[in-house]
Amino acid sequence: MDSSDDDSEEYLFKIVIIGDSAVGKSNLLSRYARDEFNLHSKATIGVEFQTQVVEINGKEVKAQIWDTAGQERFRAVTSAYYRGAFGALLVYDISRRSTFESVTRWLDELHTHCDTTVAKMLIGNKCDLDNIRDVSTEEGAKLAEDEGLFFMETSALDSTNVNKAFEIVIREIYSNVSRKVLNSDSYKAELSINRVSLVKEDGDGSRRSWSSCCSR
Amino acid sequence: MVNKRVPDWLNSSLWSSPGPQPSVQSPSPTPATLNDDDDATNRSTRSATKSSTATVNSVKAGGSASGGEFPVERTGPMPSAPAVIRAENRHVPTRAKAETRDPLSSSSNYHSDEENGSSAGSTTSASAAAAISSAEDISRQAQLCQELSRKIINMGEVRRLASQGIPDGAGIRATVWKLLLGYLPTEKALWPTELAKKRSQYKHFKEELLMNPSEITRKLEKSVILDDEGTVIADKGELPRSEITQGEHPLSLGKNSIWNQFFQDTEIIEQIDRDVKRTHPDLHFFSGDTPFAKSNQDSLRNILIVFAKLNPGIRYVQGMNEILAPLFYVFRNDPNEENAASAEADTFFCFVELLSGFRDHFCQQLDNSVVGIRSTITKLSQFLKEHDEELWRHLEMTTKVNPQFYAFRWITLLLTQEFNFPDSLLIWDTLLSDPEGPLETLLRVCCAMLIIVRRRLLAGDFTSNLKLLQNYPSTNISHLLYVANKLRAKLG
Repeated sequence: MDSSDDDSEEYLFKIVIIGDSAVGKSNLLSRYARDEFNLHSKATIGVEFQTQVVEINGKEVKAQIWDTAGQERFRAVTSAYYRGAFGALLVYDISRRSTFESVTRWLDELHTHCDTTVAKMLIGNKCDLDNIRDVSTEEGAKLAEDEGLFFMETSALDSTNVNKAFEIVIREIYSNVSRKVLNSDSYKAELSINRVSLVKEDGDGSRRSWSSCCSR
Repeated sequence: MVNKRVPDWLNSSLWSSPGPQPSVQSPSPTPATLNDDDDATNRSTRSATKSSTATVNSVKAGGSASGGEFPVERTGPMPSAPAVIRAENRHVPTRAKAETRDPLSSSSNYHSDEENGSSAGSTTSASAAAAISSAEDISRQAQLCQELSRKIINMGEVRRLASQGIPDGAGIRATVWKLLLGYLPTEKALWPTELAKKRSQYKHFKEELLMNPSEITRKLEKSVILDDEGTVIADKGELPRSEITQGEHPLSLGKNSIWNQFFQDTEIIEQIDRDVKRTHPDLHFFSGDTPFAKSNQDSLRNILIVFAKLNPGIRYVQGMNEILAPLFYVFRNDPNEENAASAEADTFFCFVELLSGFRDHFCQQLDNSVVGIRSTITKLSQFLKEHDEELWRHLEMTTKVNPQFYAFRWITLLLTQEFNFPDSLLIWDTLLSDPEGPLETLLRVCCAMLIIVRRRLLAGDFTSNLKLLQNYPSTNISHLLYVANKLRAKLG
């Protein structure tokens, strides 16, 4: 596939935000997508959805960001939300250790539902709460390194690093896509299947081949 | 062929004036200032729109009250303005108006634009209709009051009247809901004893279930003799006890020690605390630092903890707080002071009763069963297909919007997050009035929500459709319920 086709190519990346309840997932998204923060936002039930257009290397990239419910109970019904995800933000609250300890469970969840090429970032949110910090920056960075994740501490409240975190994930997805598979004919087909399968129940088959395609 | 599936009545002229439509044509007449004390999410933007149309309408309808008072004008059924909100009104006037003044003025611009093109512009007829509607309300309210005054309540009649919305000028919604939920027996003479029995039972539950081992231990260590009256600290949910009766309550039957149990409970309780604080953050009744809001939050917390402990198979699931809130709000605002004071106990039992019809939606183990949430969502999808195959096909086949993505919240929360609070109460009047139970009505209302915005959906793609359904536009609730009721007749 030659590059001349790429000019007309429209990129649509699905990104999921996951992590325990009340770590600030919805506020990270509203800060990023609308530059808004709500100290008393309601708990997310099911899933909420935003789109954001970013420009990377002169190309328009549409990020479709899914904000999911945190409570354990919802996991059985949230599996559909992971389908077709290209990126994931795993969020914990630096002032609540238990949310950090859950990160590995969320990683498992992600691996169960998504292929390995998902661009993943570990996010220690609420870094404005440094005075009641319960997880050190070093611990976060260490876990991220061990698991091969990007890492960043953010504050949706004061905006620290929020845009940066999303941007890194989107750029990484973009480079994954360009570097690994842009030259293969099958990629085009896969990408369009993936686009459709964002909402498709039976997208598993296509994901598997996509995965093998990338793992080369 | 597909088009044949679109029911003729959808295009009927009835749609043009289902009730007073504040036929505002411009996208949003909202003054920016209305929004300034709110989170500017989509949802709050919508409520700001509501408040502005509310103001417009109350003037047009010639509603009586002025200043911080609540006009009794208005369209269709309307929840009362309980004393509590009136108090809030002093603090945040614009917001309080948005919430309470005119819950039904919210027929959306979208809505009038696309489904009611012909109704555009007729503000005078709208206000005339409002006056008629208001008269109907007063009449229905009088009828309901009369029904409530009978020795033996005729539930058929109460259901019929309440299903059109309970005009709550007389503060009767609390009593009607308690009847609809079977909490109050139909024989009025039994009410005092029945209420006394239940309230005492709840007090007992609290004493048994809300104890805090660390506190007990600490106090025992200090050899403090505990006061067993349970009233002093009751509002903190930590009742003092003179003895620990481990064997009595359901959760101590297991192998776990009281302490292991306690640690498990702590996680749930923390979750409950976080969510109670996030319950209706826009309503001063529930949110803020006033003693009143705090005591209301404590009540929600107590009820959810007691429920979680009595139902170890379900415990607490996020969203239960949202279902609890309308019940507690209505009961706590009962003009009868004795009832208002016992709102927590009454709410608990009504919550249990209400949830018994929906419990399976909260149970993870049942997600994939015929009674679980997925199955209910599938029912909604089939229901839509039967009534409007074109819309169904476009939504689920063409734009591939999985109904789970929007209906999960609609159904688990009984529509409490899709509309403003007073509108939710009106929808609940109808849900609770159905003798077949609320689920079928709920599905009809959900289906009606889809049909009402069908033109926008049919023109939309995946993204715009999902955004629309996750941020449902404000809608004239009488109209919505009318459409939902039509769906009942259609399937027969």
